[in-house]
Amino acid sequence: MAQAVERTLNQRLHRHEQTLFLAGAAAILVLFSIAPWLQPLGEIAAARENSLALLASSRVWMLLLRSLLLSSAVTALALLIGLPLGVLFGRMDVPLRRALWVAHAFPMFLPPFLLALGWFHLLGRQGLLGGESTAALLFSEVGLVFVLGVTLAPIVTSLVAVGVMGVDASLEEAARLVARPWRVATHILLPAASPAIALAAIVVFALALSELGVPMFLRVDVFPAAVFARLGGVDYAPGEAFALALPLVPVAACLLILERRFVGRHSYAVLGLRSGARAPLPLRRLRAPLTAAATIASIVSVAPIAALAIRASRGSGGVATILDWSRRAPLNGVLAAAAAASGISAIGLIVGHAAARRERGASVLDALSVLAFVTPASVLGVGLIAVWNRAATQMIYGTLAILVVGYMARYVAVGVRVVASSVSQSPVHLEEAAAAHGAHFARRLFRIVLPLHARGVMFAWLLAAVFCMRDLETAVLFYPPGGEPLTVRIFTLEANGPESVVAGLALLQVGMTLAVLGLGAFAFLWRRAP
Amino acid sequence: MPGPVRPYLTHWIGLALALLFVSMLSCTKRKNEVVVYTSVDQVFSEPVFRAFEREAGIEVRAVFDTEETKSTGVLNRLIAESDHPQADVFWSGDPVRPFLLIKRGLVEPYLSPAVSGLPAGMRAADGTWTGFAARARVLLVNRGKVPSGETPRSIRDLADPRWRGQTSIANPLFGTTTMHVAALFAAWGEERARAFMNDIKANDVRVASSNGEVKRLVAAGEVAFGLTDTDDAHEALGEGAPVEVIYPDQDGMGALVMPTTAVLLRRGPHGEAGKKLVDYLVGPEAERMMAESAAHMPLRAGVPTPANVRSVSDIRTMEVDYARVASEMERIQPWLRQWSGL
Repeated sequence: MAQAVERTLNQRLHRHEQTLFLAGAAAILVLFSIAPWLQPLGEIAAARENSLALLASSRVWMLLLRSLLLSSAVTALALLIGLPLGVLFGRMDVPLRRALWVAHAFPMFLPPFLLALGWFHLLGRQGLLGGESTAALLFSEVGLVFVLGVTLAPIVTSLVAVGVMGVDASLEEAARLVARPWRVATHILLPAASPAIALAAIVVFALALSELGVPMFLRVDVFPAAVFARLGGVDYAPGEAFALALPLVPVAACLLILERRFVGRHSYAVLGLRSGARAPLPLRRLRAPLTAAATIASIVSVAPIAALAIRASRGSGGVATILDWSRRAPLNGVLAAAAAASGISAIGLIVGHAAARRERGASVLDALSVLAFVTPASVLGVGLIAVWNRAATQMIYGTLAILVVGYMARYVAVGVRVVASSVSQSPVHLEEAAAAHGAHFARRLFRIVLPLHARGVMFAWLLAAVFCMRDLETAVLFYPPGGEPLTVRIFTLEANGPESVVAGLALLQVGMTLAVLGLGAFAFLWRRAP
Repeated sequence: MPGPVRPYLTHWIGLALALLFVSMLSCTKRKNEVVVYTSVDQVFSEPVFRAFEREAGIEVRAVFDTEETKSTGVLNRLIAESDHPQADVFWSGDPVRPFLLIKRGLVEPYLSPAVSGLPAGMRAADGTWTGFAARARVLLVNRGKVPSGETPRSIRDLADPRWRGQTSIANPLFGTTTMHVAALFAAWGEERARAFMNDIKANDVRVASSNGEVKRLVAAGEVAFGLTDTDDAHEALGEGAPVEVIYPDQDGMGALVMPTTAVLLRRGPHGEAGKKLVDYLVGPEAERMMAESAAHMPLRAGVPTPANVRSVSDIRTMEVDYARVASEMERIQPWLRQWSGL
């Protein structure tokens, strides 16, 4: 009798296993990413009159418009740089194109304000190449667009390069019979990679719009700074800050709609899954000038890092001083980022897989994760304090675990979207066949989906880890005492700390990011080995 | 990868991550520690904490402010966390922010035995706050931009049309500039203070993100002079910038002096260790360290005043009631936000 009941329960459990997995992921998503918004809604209600007055102010809407325009300009510049470079690095016979691509792309894994600091050492009044005019330009809207455009352009480059590498070879070969290589690139490769271009534009726009560190450093007024001011001013007004963040919700929703419209379920290659070994297209006469252009672009990308290195080398005390100033911050950042990336990958596997297979409810979770990604981190930070600073949750709030929660809340979309893109490229037949032979959901997930998309999941982990490591805005509001990650430590030391130490700490961040990426590359190669 | 190893890979990864998470939870909670939130620059406050760690054998876990939200970022975090306080001590860069905590009942009065030698006017009789190591608000003047006969002597010169577009102050929503503006409202009254602020705005004053940024603008010659703190001015002198430090209004209302303040917080998780840290902060050693490293003006007679900084007793200081300045500071915030355009 008992065995029969157990068998029935097991059968029912197995039947609803996917729903339970998805519900578990949804619970974490709601607790981490959505609950911090519920407290703010109460605060908005409490500060109703001030909030309404604030939203009625033309200054607020003008500031939002200004931020939208600046973000558009950053996106345009990133596309201008990234589109041709993506094609060059992806499919053209540029010498050393992989090395140039790596050099160009690396800065996108660093906190943008570190690169702004590097540009300051380069173009500031007393910078290596600086003077009156360069400093004036750097500390202006032009400087902001330049720094963020150059910093975020590698996102476009890399997504476009991977996109064009994945374009169906037969299309390209047919076109090459009647057209020159550059025409093939502009008329076949780029249109075929349009979902990747759309995704890159959306990601760049979202990152530019939510960026706080660079505009504050370059003294340019932007909307997130206004939200931050409501939280950092004397009359602590979280309700007003949350009210101020509300106009960003429709903006985030628009980005989401655009993503669904232009990217969504399009099957395009990511992670080189469909990139076969094809000969690059010959550039012929254009090879020399375009190689020079690509080289210059790569040099420009790494120039701020070089400037930081030069500034750090001019300080006294050397490496020991820098390590002494870093204290536990590098370890804090890496531990929290690694744990958060693991959680993000796990949720990404469940929700991303469900989204790719169009399971009920998955698209809502997917959308919520994207909304959490594009909403202001400062609001999320205060919401997290309200949710987690309780007697029962001190093991979370008082420790590095709160950083893990914050990172997961903000960057879970990275895992979901990467895994969804990866899964959507493989047919569902294998999973259906396994189900027909009685394999329940967990078995299919771990024995079929995970091995098939191991590279996708690893890439999700790597990307999430790097996003967490470069984060500043989320962590700065609630990092545990003595538990600040290196980005926060650099930010709090930046204004008054010795310049060479700050530059040295920035280089330490560069080194840590390189190490994580190096480990990731090693893992990819290891997975690829037969 | 050899075949037999791969099936166990996920288990190893899982185990490693579990250990990682447990180590994260355990490595940051210890008994022999004290938690301090501070708006004093990290570069100066951290060496003091380290010296305390060495002397008391108590680990200090600190939260520091960012330059842009100086004096208010951690203060607001203290308020946000007030249901379950995380901090034992607040070391404020100025004497008025603690009143915002006192008003909310977040402060535990503590009369430290280490206050001997500190002037009575620089600490609360009930022990809610204790001031030490002070700064003053000064005009930092670029000698290359300002002819010697035209050196500004008063903060009113910020509104002088002669210096249109040539002056700078930090954002008055944050840091010591908020306190300074509030002190002017308390000293001059609403109408006069508003008129002054509107005048300097009409005079195209450059609103920098911080006092450190004001220093950079003046030192680089982007503006002729700016209003900043003595520690920033001292830093500019140390960097060899062509600047002169003017203590303003020496023939009038005097310069605003702001001691840093130590406050013991109510229901802090490590109360006794918190008291020990307060004792150390208000003692002569911390004041000496702040004088040497951060050019703060010692309030004790026995601690030497740093070079390039004048002693508090040598200058005419603005007469201020810090409690009143604190309430003015809160009251004028909506207007200040309008002024700042945020």
